[in-house]
Amino acid sequence: MSAGGGGIEHLEIGALKNIVERGQVWSRMAAKWGVENPVPPWKTSLDGMCDALDQAACDAEVPDFKERRDEEDLLSATVYSNLPYPENQLVSLAHSLMARGVIDEAELKQRLTRIRARLEA
Amino acid sequence: MTEHDHDHDHDRTVAPMVDEITDFEVLEIALRELCIEKGIFTAEEHRLMTEFAEQIGPTPAAHLVAKAWLDPEFKKLALAEPMTASKEVGVDWLHPTGWGTPSDFTAFQILADTPTVHNVIVCALCSCYPRPILGNSPEWYRTPNYRRRLVRWPRQVLAEFGLYLPDEITVHVQDSNQKHRFMVMPMRPEGTDDWTEDQLVEILTRDCLIGVALPKAGVKTNMITDTRPAIHPGNAG
Repeated sequence: MSAGGGGIEHLEIGALKNIVERGQVWSRMAAKWGVENPVPPWKTSLDGMCDALDQAACDAEVPDFKERRDEEDLLSATVYSNLPYPENQLVSLAHSLMARGVIDEAELKQRLTRIRARLEA
Repeated sequence: MTEHDHDHDHDRTVAPMVDEITDFEVLEIALRELCIEKGIFTAEEHRLMTEFAEQIGPTPAAHLVAKAWLDPEFKKLALAEPMTASKEVGVDWLHPTGWGTPSDFTAFQILADTPTVHNVIVCALCSCYPRPILGNSPEWYRTPNYRRRLVRWPRQVLAEFGLYLPDEITVHVQDSNQKHRFMVMPMRPEGTDDWTEDQLVEILTRDCLIGVALPKAGVKTNMITDTRPAIHPGNAG
């Protein structure tokens, strides 16, 4: 993770960059598997997570509703502008939480590996 | 009976699924697990909010307006006490926590169109939306494009949705915020005399209740609108 100065959009987060580059966005995956659902199955869980975070926003590092949405808009228009919705919402949220130090990139990387292994077991 | 001792065809009854694990699915789970482990929220709180997000939709709002079209007394109630009227269509704004969702429990107001005033809602600041009664906002409602431009050039933006309003109709753009939520009560269209509540509900699409469309006999679906980059009319051409 490296910051090039300025706002959070200048922070480069390798773990997220890899995900963006692999490009497993829902529109592509749905077309590949012949699925017609307009949004990915994790969308409502992401909505639930955003609501749960908004409720917890009294913690200093956790962005409140407006900060979260402002950062999502900024990141979706810049560093994640090639991602569709809701992938840009998810990745922007991850970026915000790491930029604020709520989650550490190393622990996220480790967790991504563990969860993938668990789901593919 | 053994596991497959029945006579239906699984190939024909099971809808296709994405049968591989995607990075985005893994990322969503990872963020959620880490937040839970750090004590930011509990799994139970997340489940409750997710259940809420899955069950909301525009149907209660459509019923509310249809009832108001059919019953002048209910219309008065809807405009004077919208939260009480919401309960009559099954929506309690205090759900799911007892004080609403963190971003939804607010004052709620219903904006009634008249022959000379057309209402349309937006959230210029972020994407506040009357979720308990109208469901999750459409993607375009969240975009800076819609939010920024509607308040400046409402007629142009409405025209992009196919809604062309004559100059004699005033366009009232209502900006939502974290304290106030709004929805639009359009006027009952021609050709719907003697219709039942359920028939009226079919033409009260989500977009009509946001104010980017008008209900019309025979039109039962929201218009598909691609999001597009913002265009400043002053720079066009």
